[in-house]
Amino acid sequence: MATLTVEVLAPEAVLWRGAAHALVARSSEGDFTVMAGYAPTVGDVVSTVVRVEGTDEGEVRFAVHAGFFAVGPGEAEGETRATVLASVVERVDEIDVGRAQASLERAQAALAAASSSDDPVAYVEALEAVARAELRLRAAAR
Amino acid sequence: MAGGQERVLRRRIRSVNSTRKITKAMELIAAAQIPRALARITANRPYRDGLRRVVLEAIESDPFSARRLVELPEHVETASVLVISGDRGLSGPYNNQNLRAGERLVAELRANGTQVRLAVAGKKAAPYYRFRGLEVERAFAGFVERPTYADAQAIARYLATPFMEGEVHQVLLVSTRYHSAGRQAVEVRQLLPFVVEEAPEAPREGLTGYTEFEPEVAKLLVSLAPRALESEVFAALLEGAAAFLTGQQRAMAAATENADELGRTLTRRMNQARQDAITTEIMEIVGGAEALRSGK
Repeated sequence: MATLTVEVLAPEAVLWRGAAHALVARSSEGDFTVMAGYAPTVGDVVSTVVRVEGTDEGEVRFAVHAGFFAVGPGEAEGETRATVLASVVERVDEIDVGRAQASLERAQAALAAASSSDDPVAYVEALEAVARAELRLRAAAR
Repeated sequence: MAGGQERVLRRRIRSVNSTRKITKAMELIAAAQIPRALARITANRPYRDGLRRVVLEAIESDPFSARRLVELPEHVETASVLVISGDRGLSGPYNNQNLRAGERLVAELRANGTQVRLAVAGKKAAPYYRFRGLEVERAFAGFVERPTYADAQAIARYLATPFMEGEVHQVLLVSTRYHSAGRQAVEVRQLLPFVVEEAPEAPREGLTGYTEFEPEVAKLLVSLAPRALESEVFAALLEGAAAFLTGQQRAMAAATENADELGRTLTRRMNQARQDAITTEIMEIVGGAEALRSGK
């Protein structure tokens, strides 16, 4: 039996692990859907909402703020294992919209401050923070 | 005279007892924090291993694109060294072990004609090296007992940038590995170039060769390498935190025991002094009474 196991890993937690029908994500080359029997692949995941479809809980969605994915054979016979690795990732249904909104405002203020200063690192960080907050809100709104 | 000695001893006992209370409290606090530190290591492991596997697969499938990230030049002109130690003392040999290993490593590298750029994590490190005349290029501090991923990112960015620009040819890490509650050991590891032998247990055999890459390896590695470095630094910080707490707990347990014993010895001596004083007093009274009677 061909099965698909999906893992979503963050540096400090296994966010989700279980059987699923499909993993839908976006790499820098475009959207892709991983199902059981998918060819072994390694690649990146751009900032996007990753969907894990057909799980016991239905569809589970994650806001992934850039990371990587690996698809390969799992331990069991016929098992395909898809792993999503991201330094910042959260379950969409756990996003606190109020907090995300506040962090967007904070990030925008930081961006405004950074763009008038001469610190490229702070500027890039502020840009990333804004992008993270926007993705979070977008993911939660849908 | 004897009463004076008793007072002095009583004061010392009191001070030993209050020291004991402090060391005991520190021991308990450290002991309470250890499980959390260990849980963080466990929670980090799948991510760290997963990322290592991705890096390994990318490197193995296209060694040509990866050569800059895996090949160590014959002569390393400049090396970055990161030493992870603690923010606080009172943790037994933890800080000094790391700091001394770092010092040795720097001396070795210099003996081979390698320039060293030294970076440290932990408040205790910078003064240590400065006192010994070693220049510390960058000191990170304040998070060593409870590192966050952002801390690791800051350190990794500092380490990766000069390497990617070709100013630094090797990045070395000195830190304590947490093997078990009873065994922690200082280790020197090469972070960059990546060490390919250091595969996680059970590499996925048969995968290499026909894995597809999206995007191609050369492009993927550009974004992958910094993340992989972050992940390694983060794992090292987590293990360091656990080792620090374990060291502190052990050191404070020993200190508490010493205080106990010192308190016991002092109490015994004080009781003896008091007994002496009483005996002397009785002798004086008896002597006085005797003198009065015979003088009658």
